[in-house]
Amino acid sequence: MVALNKTAAVIVTFNRSAKLMKVLDALDRQTLRPDVILVVDNASTDDTRSLVEARARDDLSIRYLGLPRNIGGAGGFHQGLKAAYRLGAHYFWVSDDDAYPEPDAIEKLVQAISGFEAQNEWRPSFACSRVEWIDGTLCEMNTPRPVWDWPRFLLPEGGWALVDSASFVSILIPRWAVEQHGLPIADYFIWFDDAEYTRRLSRSYPGIFCPESRVIHDTPDNRGVNFSLVDEKSLWKFKYGARNEASWRRRESGLVGVLAYAYGVHRQMRDGHVPWKMRWQILRAIARGYAFRPGIESV
Amino acid sequence: MTSTTALAPAGEDTAEQIEREISEIVSIYSRLYPTQQLNFVFYAGKDPVWSAPSVIEGPFTFQPGHVNADFLGQRVRPGIHPGAPVVTVTVSIPRKPLPNELKQMDAPWAPTSRLRRLYRLSPLLYESVRYQAEMVRKRRADRLHPKVSLMRGDGSPLLPVPQPPASDKRPAILIGMHWLEVGGAEKLGFDTVQWALEAGLRVFVAASVPSIQRLADRLPDHPDLTFLRLDRYLPHHLWPRYVENLARAENIRLIHIHHCRPLYESLPQIRANLPWIKVIDSTHIVEYSDGGFPRSSGVWSNFIDIHHVISRELVDYYRDNFHVIGKVRLGRMLNGEAGDAGRTVLPEPNLRPGKTHLQVAFVGRLYYQKRPVLVVEALRALAAWAGRNGVELSGKIVGEGPFLDAVRALLQRYGLADRVALLPANSPVSEILERSDILLLPSNNEGLALVCYEAVERGCIPISTDVGSQDEIVPQDLLVPLEPRACVKGIVGAVDRLWRDPAFLSRQAEALARCWSAIARDPTARQVLMPVYRDAAGLGD
Repeated sequence: MVALNKTAAVIVTFNRSAKLMKVLDALDRQTLRPDVILVVDNASTDDTRSLVEARARDDLSIRYLGLPRNIGGAGGFHQGLKAAYRLGAHYFWVSDDDAYPEPDAIEKLVQAISGFEAQNEWRPSFACSRVEWIDGTLCEMNTPRPVWDWPRFLLPEGGWALVDSASFVSILIPRWAVEQHGLPIADYFIWFDDAEYTRRLSRSYPGIFCPESRVIHDTPDNRGVNFSLVDEKSLWKFKYGARNEASWRRRESGLVGVLAYAYGVHRQMRDGHVPWKMRWQILRAIARGYAFRPGIESV
Repeated sequence: MTSTTALAPAGEDTAEQIEREISEIVSIYSRLYPTQQLNFVFYAGKDPVWSAPSVIEGPFTFQPGHVNADFLGQRVRPGIHPGAPVVTVTVSIPRKPLPNELKQMDAPWAPTSRLRRLYRLSPLLYESVRYQAEMVRKRRADRLHPKVSLMRGDGSPLLPVPQPPASDKRPAILIGMHWLEVGGAEKLGFDTVQWALEAGLRVFVAASVPSIQRLADRLPDHPDLTFLRLDRYLPHHLWPRYVENLARAENIRLIHIHHCRPLYESLPQIRANLPWIKVIDSTHIVEYSDGGFPRSSGVWSNFIDIHHVISRELVDYYRDNFHVIGKVRLGRMLNGEAGDAGRTVLPEPNLRPGKTHLQVAFVGRLYYQKRPVLVVEALRALAAWAGRNGVELSGKIVGEGPFLDAVRALLQRYGLADRVALLPANSPVSEILERSDILLLPSNNEGLALVCYEAVERGCIPISTDVGSQDEIVPQDLLVPLEPRACVKGIVGAVDRLWRDPAFLSRQAEALARCWSAIARDPTARQVLMPVYRDAAGLGD
């Protein structure tokens, strides 16, 4: 049993009220229900606000943070985590508006993080769920990245794999990690904000992957994030991703890191036969990323 | 009812006054320090409302200044045992207020010295400058006064939670008010005192701002009511401990805050030591300069169980700034479900197109918030309009306050004194509205002015600035801009159109009826608060 376990769910949403309601339904069914459910509305133009208001009138745990304009998922998670921190929560369960946690998903994450600390003395900087697509297969875009000694605490009788990067889809972050490492970078707008943040948290100690905690990610298709998949429709997101990761690479390993990244992206696009017009746009985004130096806000 | 310094008996002599004040001071500090030996050092006060107390916990050494010309003497309240720690309280006995102070504490308003010439040249220009300054304050408010709720931990289940002590006393409520003077928040405060007594609660009332508390005699004369003169005798930093001791001793189950700052500041003490106490607050108006009490309330939101608000603007304010929805309850300051007059239909407007005699009314306290200078400017512009259109115009200004002399002088200056009557605050407002065609409300800020609601019920058409929640009761076409010149122009334009255009008048009457009905459908403050009071009294369903 942990001494302090006030848990706040932070859900960032934009114009997906029906899916958001399913998320809130899923949170209602949790065996460990969050003490606070903070809905961060990225200036939705649908009926999100009225639906959340209707629920919140009867459910005091629901709070609504309506942003005046759409500041992207990164901005939403930044604002949401900041607000939840100010509410005094000890754990932040962070997720998307289209990810439905299984009834015991949050309880398993809290048990895993506290169990890991009790057994191994180290304290994980986050715990992430197994994210499945609607057909039960692994959700490609939400695959956590293991560290080199990932099986260190994975024993025949159980345990958890160590990871240093995960997505903002059912991830539990302890308060101390936010205190120590600050908030996600709002300026990223979209993509790579979760990877950057979890890698930043992992400087203290890696996170843990908890397959016993499951969440269903209701995305239109089950595709990973790979530059061979760039097309007209997704180009704008890949450009943000390229810029943001290039910025992070420069911060972590300088020009060499950015060049290595650019080469890797180039190879992926070449293998995917991405038209040159789009390749140039991605490479220009990487160049912009080299000069893009967003600050990190602490709490 | 006990502790009624505000209601000093007429003709009371000095010795009696001093003895009465001393007994209240001793009573308050005995509650705060029940076991210690209390040494009181009394002085003759120069202030009619504030006793300037100073508390020294531990040994006290007299300095020459302590035995000055105002030194009255000492009194000792023994401790629980001879070795009890000593607390010394130096306190002045407030002097009796002068007759003019009893009537009006605020000095008559005068323009600031730097802008006096400008005011003499053009009061409207002066108002414009003041408006600009107000808007600058509004723009700065977000930066200077952040809207972030204070964090509150719930504690760990590993440690015991304080439990309420057994008490043989009936449950009680502490109602904290800003002061007991004229005002919308105070009106609700007085209503809640009555409702709490009806619910069977014992009631303790305290005010935060030292004042004559002129309306203290409106508190019900009831054995279950106690008015504590903390405003007069207790520094704000000692309120938290006092409130805790009071709550423990008097079985206080509920705290209702009406714009009472030291009670907000007592909430950490209450939440840490008396978590069983339920806390409600009521808020009315978002001030431009610092957000006012709604902002304070939002900052303390995590320590408060229910935010009672009087307008939809405030419902949105809490949601947009403090992210709370469920514990915000809208309860209108109306007496009945179908409006204060118990009506289900509204009378026809008193104004008829082409009417040859128009009466314009203003009802409100003559403070800057209501912009009395602008009322006169609007009347002046309307008089000019009336002259051009062959209309006989008359006006009635109902209210008192520091702007009274300035309003009187302006009416003289503009030659309106014979057409505009200045009436005291206790005038029959309903009758005046029944005989008036237009109600002017060019306020700088409002929550939701109930006088507009009453005006509609009396067939009087309100024209108001577009501030606060006024758009809930006043249709869009009758809302005028806040900027003073545009405000005056807007008022004249609206009156002209109402007078000239029958279709427009009819549309506004229908829109007013819609607004009136929508507000009447909302729950009243009594309907929202009474169940909470009854729960606290142990009479809940």
